[in-house]
Amino acid sequence: MEQEWSYLVDEYRAMLYRIAFSNMKNRADAEDAVQEAFLRYMKDEKPIQNKEHEKAWLIRTTIHICLDILKSGWYQKTVPWNESFENAAKNIYLPYQVRDDETLEAVLRLPVHYRNPIYLFYYEDYSIHEIAGILNEKEGTIKTRLRRGREEVKKILTEGRP
Amino acid sequence: MGVQEVQNQGAVPAYQKKKKAGHSEGFQESFLQNLKNRDLEKQANTAAETEAKRAAADTQTEVKVKAEKAGMGRIGAAPGIRVNAAAMQETLQAVEVRHMSYEESDHVRIAVTEGYTLKGKREEGGEARVYVEAKYEDGRVEAYQVEMAKVPERTEHMIERFALETMQER
Repeated sequence: MEQEWSYLVDEYRAMLYRIAFSNMKNRADAEDAVQEAFLRYMKDEKPIQNKEHEKAWLIRTTIHICLDILKSGWYQKTVPWNESFENAAKNIYLPYQVRDDETLEAVLRLPVHYRNPIYLFYYEDYSIHEIAGILNEKEGTIKTRLRRGREEVKKILTEGRP
Repeated sequence: MGVQEVQNQGAVPAYQKKKKAGHSEGFQESFLQNLKNRDLEKQANTAAETEAKRAAADTQTEVKVKAEKAGMGRIGAAPGIRVNAAAMQETLQAVEVRHMSYEESDHVRIAVTEGYTLKGKREEGGEARVYVEAKYEDGRVEAYQVEMAKVPERTEHMIERFALETMQER
């Protein structure tokens, strides 16, 4: 049983952490969100159809947990004391060499409805079809958010504001 | 030479106020002829311009068709990228998309502000070839095989340049 879960953790932990971090922007909260997602997966009784479904379920749950934490009254009244938002991108370790912290930083500053589609599409290499499934949205909606999100990233990079 | 003589030599003759016979008719004739010639010239220029425009449009369509055949989609037509259709046909070949992951790639470019991602992998085998996969914001995914031996060192084409970077990547 333990082995069964450990493969799951080994396979998805890094990716889920990156997704959680892109939403929470601090390490401790991101780790909490990922742990909570794994716990929910273990407790969840609904049948998982295949590997893709499993992955999508975990990503979706992680994002929902992050959004719940961000919305909570407790979170809104507190500020993480040891990490600055400006360096948030440096805490996302991507599995490839090319790094453009400035653009990633701009992506992390986007509103949540643009941030998640853009992050999943560009940095985790998901297709529009997959993102639509993960975020429970129509493909057309995702395309629109990608386009508008890209414009917002440009604004942040040139004018310094979304 | 006396003072009087100098004054007479420098005197300006009075204006006759008489037109030469036939002068006016000649002028009118040549003026009309000039007008006529100018109209003819204008017509010829317009015809030449139309022909030139048509030829340019034909060339553009031809280049576009060739570029599409060579597997160049949006990148080839993107602003700021010079396309040499004939050269592209030799260096780039559209191939089947493998859906390669970032981890499998030798080189990755994430262009959020331009709306695309590129993944490159050096191909194994005798000839130097690079597989390039491009994913666009509208959902399209295209793949190309680049013949490195034919790529100019100072190429301005985005896919070719990316393939060169992939070859240099370690």
